[in-house]
Amino acid sequence: MKIKDKVFSGMILSLLLMQSAWAAGTHYEMRVDGLACPFCAFGIEKKLKAIDGTSDIKVDLDKGLVSVNMADGKSLSEEQMKKLYNDSGFTFRSMKKSPN
Amino acid sequence: MAQSAPITFNTALPVASKEYLFREQLIVAQSGRDPATTDRDRTEVTSVSVLGYGVTGKLAVFSVVPYRNIDFDLTLGNQRINRNNTGFGDATLFGRYTLYQKDGLGSNFRVAPFLGIKLPTGDDDFRDSRGITPPPARIATGSTDLFAGVVATWQKLSYQIDAQLSYRKNNEGNGFEAGNVTRFDTSLQYRLWHSDFSKGIPDYLYGVLELNAVHKGKNRLFGVTNQNTGGTQLFITPGIQYVTKRWIAETAVQIPVSQNLNGTALETDYIFRASMRFNF
Repeated sequence: MKIKDKVFSGMILSLLLMQSAWAAGTHYEMRVDGLACPFCAFGIEKKLKAIDGTSDIKVDLDKGLVSVNMADGKSLSEEQMKKLYNDSGFTFRSMKKSPN
Repeated sequence: MAQSAPITFNTALPVASKEYLFREQLIVAQSGRDPATTDRDRTEVTSVSVLGYGVTGKLAVFSVVPYRNIDFDLTLGNQRINRNNTGFGDATLFGRYTLYQKDGLGSNFRVAPFLGIKLPTGDDDFRDSRGITPPPARIATGSTDLFAGVVATWQKLSYQIDAQLSYRKNNEGNGFEAGNVTRFDTSLQYRLWHSDFSKGIPDYLYGVLELNAVHKGKNRLFGVTNQNTGGTQLFITPGIQYVTKRWIAETAVQIPVSQNLNGTALETDYIFRASMRFNF
């Protein structure tokens, strides 16, 4: 195997390892009432992004769902989310979590 | 409040706790139908800067600063006279508290009273090259005025309805006292188009239809009531609004459908509005 191919294979392997490390953690899906327009969603995204360990934040206006991934060792609490959505002007209903 | 909000009034602007909202609106108000014989023509171009801040999820405060150019022409005798003034108008501060909130899946309903004050911060020198300008050509009143009202919003995924009722008590400044103002505004924003929901937060395009009913009392100058001022106007306001999660672009034209004005008060031809809004 040429050196160039070895370097390339090493990079691919590193990326795969990084991805599996990134994928570890918890996926949260939250039911939020009051979400009805795109402009409303900005405050939620901004506040979730400010929490250490959050990634891949998605807001589904149609279904009233907000999903977010948390890094390994980090977590979200219902009380924390209740306050976050209240501060954003919405109503937190429920939260489901699953391994990422 | 938590919605995209109307075009012709600021009291329903949404802002989350510890977040800011900025709206810059260009307003061109043209009045040229003169019931008197002086052939008055008045064009007011205003750039209104609105900054909102969410103190909490329910309490928001706003500042409104207008920058105006007023061009006022009239004929006296056989002479056409032009009066022109440019500068900052009076600043307004107001607070809004969401008293009632009911959220559902893809819907929300809010009722929020508001209270505000207009301060005499504008340029009230009232002079142009011809000397002291008449009240219609002034860019600020020099008075401290109070206003209060209530705004309600009902929003679904495909449409939104806003309504506000407000009353403004105007006071005397530099000898001039504008009539008190009662107004009722409603706004329907109907979603005409949206981008793909499956690709994250979509963009919306709203068609907007607003109704603005405004009743102004008579003005007073040095204690003397001007019988040719004030009255009731009803505007119908079609518009369009493009909404993203970060910014909104919107435009509307207020068209008078009824003008029951006192004496020879100058009628409005149209009021054009265009604005941009940003969350940050």
